[in-house]
Amino acid sequence: MANKDPIRIGVLFSETGATSTIGRSQMQGTLLAIDEINQAGGVEGREIVPVRYDAQSSPAVYAAYAERLLLQDKVNVIFGCYMSSSRKAVLPIVEKWNKLLFYPTLYEGFEFSNNIIYTGAAPNQNSVQLAEFMTANFGSSVYLIGSNYIYPYESNRIMSDLVLQRPNSRKVGERYFNLDATEKDYRLMMADIRDKRPDFIFSTVVGDSTASLYRAYAESGLDPKTMPIASLTTSEAEISQMGFDVALGHFTAAPYFQSINSAANKRCLERLGERFGSSCVPNMCWEAAYFQVHIYANAYRHAEDDEISRIMPHILGSEFEAPQGRIRVDPTNHHTSLYPRIGVANSKGQFTIVREATRPVQPDPYMVTHSLGDWTTTLSTLEL
Amino acid sequence: MESSTTRRATRTTPPLLKDLRTLKVAVFHPDDGDGRQLIQQLQRIGCQVQAFWPPLPALSAGIDVVFLAVRPDSIDMGFEWLKGDDAPAVIAVVTYENPTIVEIVLHIGAQAVLPSPIRSFGLLSALVVTRHVHGDTKTLKRRLHKLEAKFLGVRQIAEAKSILMRTRQITDGAAYDLIRDQAMSKRVTTEEIAAAIINANEILSLGRL
Repeated sequence: MANKDPIRIGVLFSETGATSTIGRSQMQGTLLAIDEINQAGGVEGREIVPVRYDAQSSPAVYAAYAERLLLQDKVNVIFGCYMSSSRKAVLPIVEKWNKLLFYPTLYEGFEFSNNIIYTGAAPNQNSVQLAEFMTANFGSSVYLIGSNYIYPYESNRIMSDLVLQRPNSRKVGERYFNLDATEKDYRLMMADIRDKRPDFIFSTVVGDSTASLYRAYAESGLDPKTMPIASLTTSEAEISQMGFDVALGHFTAAPYFQSINSAANKRCLERLGERFGSSCVPNMCWEAAYFQVHIYANAYRHAEDDEISRIMPHILGSEFEAPQGRIRVDPTNHHTSLYPRIGVANSKGQFTIVREATRPVQPDPYMVTHSLGDWTTTLSTLEL
Repeated sequence: MESSTTRRATRTTPPLLKDLRTLKVAVFHPDDGDGRQLIQQLQRIGCQVQAFWPPLPALSAGIDVVFLAVRPDSIDMGFEWLKGDDAPAVIAVVTYENPTIVEIVLHIGAQAVLPSPIRSFGLLSALVVTRHVHGDTKTLKRRLHKLEAKFLGVRQIAEAKSILMRTRQITDGAAYDLIRDQAMSKRVTTEEIAAAIINANEILSLGRL
């Protein structure tokens, strides 16, 4: 008789705390994919049941719940984590017990673990494209800002390296803010930015404080037409927090925007609406959280198990028709081939896509020296 | 601005990191799970990797770094390429750390040790730091050789001057001028003239008390 027991999986995102807006959307992406799989008959007739905890935007809580998921709830696979600090907290635990983590977030690269599948963008899948676009359209003097932790440090290093490849380029400032920084903190910097007059601002501010940054910018009277903010982390979710009028005209590079005009994306958004109403704001991290569950379920069907040594061969090299396009898990580095895009925030709180990769870009998480120019040939120019 | 931090404005990526993609690496490790893990991680980092087991008696040209498995059953590690000024940076990969093995690690002049089983994490840092140390050591050795030669020369010139002052009853300054004039007219260094004077003086003094 076939096994009809449910398959339990761990789901670990932050539903509260500084990064809860993205955390909740990643949770909803995960639950949507689970619903779809279960409604289509589950995995060989077995229902997927999420065991979920709220990691409260705290690395220590991530670590504690990860261990609980593996030891008490006895799951083999965890879907979760947002900031690098949360991934670094869970990594030693999945390695120690030889379990699997699916990580649906862009990050700074320079990591490989046999126990992790990375489905967000590596820097060669967003930073290079953004630098190319911003320097070509606005100029090569940049002011770098970020939240005070490792992802912004590394992203800003890469951005400086890229921008400084242009003639007459300049880095006019580099500042880091706490995750709970307020508008008041950013206001002082805006005065400095007005003095130094960069061609654009590059921001890797993350979490709920992102809205404060854009509001401080709007109040300062600076103009996105001549000095926009370019970001890798400001998504539709952050825009919904700050209001479309505040975000209008600023740029973001990501593999996924809600506005992608494909049948797969539209169907997915429809189902999301039916399941969660308007409470969920789809964004790049939501999409990665969504498609990675399908990658897992498809691999499970082949492996008939989710014990890491049995399921991994079926995950590596596997492909899926995701909302952003057909993605593939790279067998050599466990990261994912994705479609870089550049969007400008519009008056609907969405992104108008102005550049788009026509082919997936392979992940290269250990790339130290990025160079401009090797990506644009595969991009289609949409408008601007 | 109290809640914000400004990092060094001149922060640029160090060349040792930028070089990783052009680095030529030889891996001398048995073809097992560990060896493959090591090679795969080096390839992810982007190094140009050549792998052999057992270790080759001669290295191909231009190898920057050698990963060398030190095994209890392969303690004969007297490779010629480990010696000399152009020896590559060496990272020992060890499965034991008893005194016998550690002694071999010291003997081959390894600049870093990688424990087995190999993990992906830590390899990049070990690689970069080892090259840094290796580069520094090489520079220091070169400077040391130069300084030794210089120091010997200074001693010889001092001795040659004192010979001239004694035998010709001239001042220190005049003795040095004499050496320098000779060097210029014969187009050799003052150190060589000094060595010749000392030599000649020894020969001429033969038999004297």
